[in-house]
Amino acid sequence: MNTDIIYCDHAAATPLDERVLMAMQPYFAEQFYNPSSPYAPAVRVRQAYRQAKHRLAMAIGGQADDIIMTAGATESINLIFGGVQGHVVTANIEHHAVLEAARRCDNFTTVAASSTGRVDPEAVARALRPDTVLVSIALANNELGTIQPLREIATVVQSERRRRAEAGESTPIYLHSDASQGVGQCDVTVARLGVDALTLNAGKIYGPKQVGLLWLAHHVRLDPLIVGGGQERGLRSGTENVAGAVGFAKALELAQAHRKSEVQRLASLRDTMQRVICAAIPQAIVSGDLQHRLAGHLHIAFPGVDAERLLFILETKGVLVATGSACAANKGTRSHVLTAIGLSPEVADGSVRISLGRLSTEENCHQAAEYIIAAAQQEYQRTGGYL
Amino acid sequence: MKQRVYVGMSGGVDSSVSAALLLEQGYDVTGVYMKNWSRDLPGMQCPWAEDLADAKRVAVQLGIDFKVFDFEKEYRDKVVDYMLDEYRAGRTPNPDIMCNQEVKFRLFVDTALADGADLIATGHYARVRYSTQASLLTAKDKNKDQTYFLYRVTSGALAKTLFPLGDFTKPEVRDMAKKRNLWTAHKKESMGVCFVGNVGMREFLSEYITTHPGDIIEKESGKKLGRHDGAIFYTLGQRHGLNVGGGLPYYVVGKDMDKNEVYVSRNIHDEAMWRTEVPLSNIHWIGAAPANGEKVQARLRHRGALLAATLDGDILHLVSGERAVAPGQSAVLYRGEECLGGGIVVSASESSLSLS
Repeated sequence: MNTDIIYCDHAAATPLDERVLMAMQPYFAEQFYNPSSPYAPAVRVRQAYRQAKHRLAMAIGGQADDIIMTAGATESINLIFGGVQGHVVTANIEHHAVLEAARRCDNFTTVAASSTGRVDPEAVARALRPDTVLVSIALANNELGTIQPLREIATVVQSERRRRAEAGESTPIYLHSDASQGVGQCDVTVARLGVDALTLNAGKIYGPKQVGLLWLAHHVRLDPLIVGGGQERGLRSGTENVAGAVGFAKALELAQAHRKSEVQRLASLRDTMQRVICAAIPQAIVSGDLQHRLAGHLHIAFPGVDAERLLFILETKGVLVATGSACAANKGTRSHVLTAIGLSPEVADGSVRISLGRLSTEENCHQAAEYIIAAAQQEYQRTGGYL
Repeated sequence: MKQRVYVGMSGGVDSSVSAALLLEQGYDVTGVYMKNWSRDLPGMQCPWAEDLADAKRVAVQLGIDFKVFDFEKEYRDKVVDYMLDEYRAGRTPNPDIMCNQEVKFRLFVDTALADGADLIATGHYARVRYSTQASLLTAKDKNKDQTYFLYRVTSGALAKTLFPLGDFTKPEVRDMAKKRNLWTAHKKESMGVCFVGNVGMREFLSEYITTHPGDIIEKESGKKLGRHDGAIFYTLGQRHGLNVGGGLPYYVVGKDMDKNEVYVSRNIHDEAMWRTEVPLSNIHWIGAAPANGEKVQARLRHRGALLAATLDGDILHLVSGERAVAPGQSAVLYRGEECLGGGIVVSASESSLSLS
């Protein structure tokens, strides 16, 4: 990575870990065999693939057979939404992948998140209908970093399931969570989350892009999106991405091995940045729930400033951040998440998302904070805004 | 009090340098991106979001205000629909000329002035002489001169307009962009239909106009030589794309939109190909009209040669004649370096273009 770059956008993409790259390397050219082929070299590749899935399963407390490998979280989400028939419930702050997939279902309800970006389990309970087959709430919001009360939402779904059993109703109901954002920083053991389906993405945890998985509990029944040779229990046909699966397994193991210390480190860096920036720019507003927040996330608004201008100033200093708002890159549309939690256009358009990760150090975070402060001050002075 | 200039920034190098020069000249500069078109076409992503980001990056680099004016509806009505109607009628319009007339030098000027600007500016290669009445002059860079596209602009709009690049050549502008380290310094020139990026006119028209295959007919013999996939795609004098086999090349010498027939000839001296008398319509003068019979220069296409000519009423007389003058294209008149205005070429009569 370019040493002049101070990367503060780990929620968007992460660099491939060298150890992951090493693990994947043999499966491109040397061990290229089709895992379905009968001869011995291919059998060894099949075993490596099985082993990778087993390791992935171990990391989330599931079983290898319950994991469907996909080409990323978006596909996993499309598979679970496309595979059920009936009413679905999700939240208005979910990722576009979820919202667009929900829109294709027969019926869907979006639960409104609170002003801190939290989804109220009671609101989920109220949205349930007798024909609800799927509830999908992300473990952590990709923009705000807000961690959702999944355990409580699981209880809501569980009691609905119990009610149906007692009433003799046969409609199943599943709880799915896209944990792409939370995975390096939260416990993603499926039993502890209480989910029936879980989406993970390698690209967010220093693994390869276009590699993801959908874990499904035994009782979940889905129709496939992609049919063909019947791989992945018939739910996702196509020759297996062995290198991707091996890389994903390595990446997930590494993420989990360092999770606790990394969370502490990132939270400390993030808190310092937040304190320093807020002290220098008194009108700065931190968005999202402060208690239930991913350790590396800082979503901060400079009301009245055009965040995209900040982005362009910061990139000249090598500081790379995300904006959540009316950005040319997202075709001029304001973030639906920021609108959903009730931020005024002025605050939403002045919002910057800083997401720290392995490339973050005490030194570069300090440096980034200084640049961010200078850029915000420069813009406030240019526009004659109060400072 | 500094004069406030709103400079149209397209995300290209020319308008970027314009903004930088105006700032250096001491104006209070605001960059404006005119959002004219954002529709993606199949297989072709409209580059507007990237262009907008490029324009804004440069504005941020310069530390100037930046706004987006949304002219999409007006652009569709005044420029795109005009262009499509013209093609449907079998003519060859120039959307850039219409864009300047209706959007950049009318709507943009009006919107900018209403928003508090004293002047507007663009990255065009042209100059303005400001006296009692503003007049349009060709650029120093004769190779880049864009007055052909500007002849339908009003004197009133020119009086409020700055062309900071008028006294520079394109290589000089590139150099200035590089010296200032502007983000767009190395950006390539856009190709194809200006507003949709790198897509050809043919692909664009195919999206909007239903076309039917028809016959390609040799003018002299009346013989069917082949098939075409829509008469609108053919323009007078066109040589390529006639799938009619080897030998000497064929040229389009006429078409009949009602019959959906395209007429071709191997005779490069065909009367339809060479015109000395060119009737004009929708004539517009920036200042006073040239006198009847006054010796002027005429240009029939962007970067086309300046041809000795006189105007007699609505009829342009070309001293030496010109090849392949297609209805719909503009004839622009010059007196020395002054661009006087011009008109849109009409066929002598619709029938003169067909066999009947």
